[in-house]
Amino acid sequence: MKIWYELYRYREMIFSLVRRDLKGRYKGSALGFLWTFLNPLLQLLIYTFVFSIVMRNDVKDYYLFLFVALVPWIFFSSCVAGGASCIWSQKEMVKKIYFPREVLPISFVLSQFVNMCLCFLVIFGVLIFSGRGIDLIAILYLPVVLVVEFLLALGITMITSACTVYFRDLEYILSIITMGWQFLTPVMYSVEIVPKKIQFIFYTNPMTSIIEAYRDILYIGKIPRLSSLGIAFLIGSFLFLFGTMVFEKLQMRFAEEL
Amino acid sequence: MSPIIRVEKVSKKFRIYSDKGSTLKERLLFKKRRTYKEQIVLNNISFTVEKGEAVGLIGQNGCGKSTTLKLLSRIMYPEQGNIKVLGRVSSLIELGAGFHPDMSGRENIFINASIFGLTRKEIEERLNAIIEFSELQNYIDNPVRTYSSGMYMRLAFSVAIHVSADVLLIDEILAVGDSNFQEKCFQKLKELNKNGLTIVLVSHDLGSVLNLCQRALWLEQGMIYENSNQVQYVIDRYMEYMEKRKNKLIGEE
Repeated sequence: MKIWYELYRYREMIFSLVRRDLKGRYKGSALGFLWTFLNPLLQLLIYTFVFSIVMRNDVKDYYLFLFVALVPWIFFSSCVAGGASCIWSQKEMVKKIYFPREVLPISFVLSQFVNMCLCFLVIFGVLIFSGRGIDLIAILYLPVVLVVEFLLALGITMITSACTVYFRDLEYILSIITMGWQFLTPVMYSVEIVPKKIQFIFYTNPMTSIIEAYRDILYIGKIPRLSSLGIAFLIGSFLFLFGTMVFEKLQMRFAEEL
Repeated sequence: MSPIIRVEKVSKKFRIYSDKGSTLKERLLFKKRRTYKEQIVLNNISFTVEKGEAVGLIGQNGCGKSTTLKLLSRIMYPEQGNIKVLGRVSSLIELGAGFHPDMSGRENIFINASIFGLTRKEIEERLNAIIEFSELQNYIDNPVRTYSSGMYMRLAFSVAIHVSADVLLIDEILAVGDSNFQEKCFQKLKELNKNGLTIVLVSHDLGSVLNLCQRALWLEQGMIYENSNQVQYVIDRYMEYMEKRKNKLIGEE
């Protein structure tokens, strides 16, 4: 387990790459870091307009129903699809400098994660101001769900980013896969409206229980079902461990393949 | 005392694809084209470096100098053999890694130094020395995109030289800034070497090898041709050899 010690030594690199990404993202714009909050808020406004005025449906406060699921989904899908190229895009650095290669996927996922947490602040604000409020007991379970989703996203990103070095097409394949995956996850609708026959697909998907947990906590205001979350946690940990093993093997030839 | 760098019977091959098809169609249809030649870059080399030594690697293009350096820094791994390096290794192969043009010089020092594996505390301790060495005190809070290329390199080199590693690997990067700054870098390297820093230098500039190194290692087609403390002697022979080759090439034409 030498790699963990090595990663601990390079912790500052992880933090500074995350900082560079978050600060650099809106650098040069007049509003700067404020965009991190403004962006989700404006998106939410659009959803409210679309689903409360244009395309009304039966779900109460559909814009919130959608948004509390969409934010964590965007985190996950940007890790899976965007994270695939996180080593490829730094190839000049990988070819010329030594550092534990795991730093790149970890800092990529971490920076997306921080971004998601900032979006949650916006969600909290909207929940309070809209009068729906926050269930103080349910909210205690939020960190658990965040950790489970983080593990899952990191495990997958480790595998995809390492494989993309050898097989460039993976990046494009993954962007299509995540699009399909979104519709097999109850982001825009709940599982109940899905025909019974194909519901099993939704329940073999670890993201289903994660997204449902977010919705339970934030939209309904109840404690999430821990049994299905536990399975998602097991899948997440397995993928994470498997991902680090695959990564360690594949990273040996990065400098030659890039 | 055991040597700080030990390279034992190391071999490294590269795959040279004659025509590497990377799309699926090409992979399936033209399987034969994907044949590659294995080129031996390093052939069973062994050497050791003692702590505090400065060793210069010389040889013509493609002889395996840079590959050796990449193996020492763990950017690549050997197919056969063993490499042991004790202590913290820092490589000056690429300067200014991770620089973000929109961020200030000071912010970039933190990013760049962290890529060399320094912790925040270690960077803060070295910050003043880095800024002073770069002679960029008046510009350090300006974004790096406003820097001239010379200023950029000065900042990058200052960070790299303050990493305080046990082993420093340098690949052809002493051509930094104007001649005064070059001289300053050179003196700094000499000083660090005197204080116990181990240096492995790859250079075509035989003058700097002669000036800095106590030992010269001449690589020829992936093998060690000469490994001697008499740097002047190795360089003379190398120059003689290159002269002969040149004449031979001209003769063939």
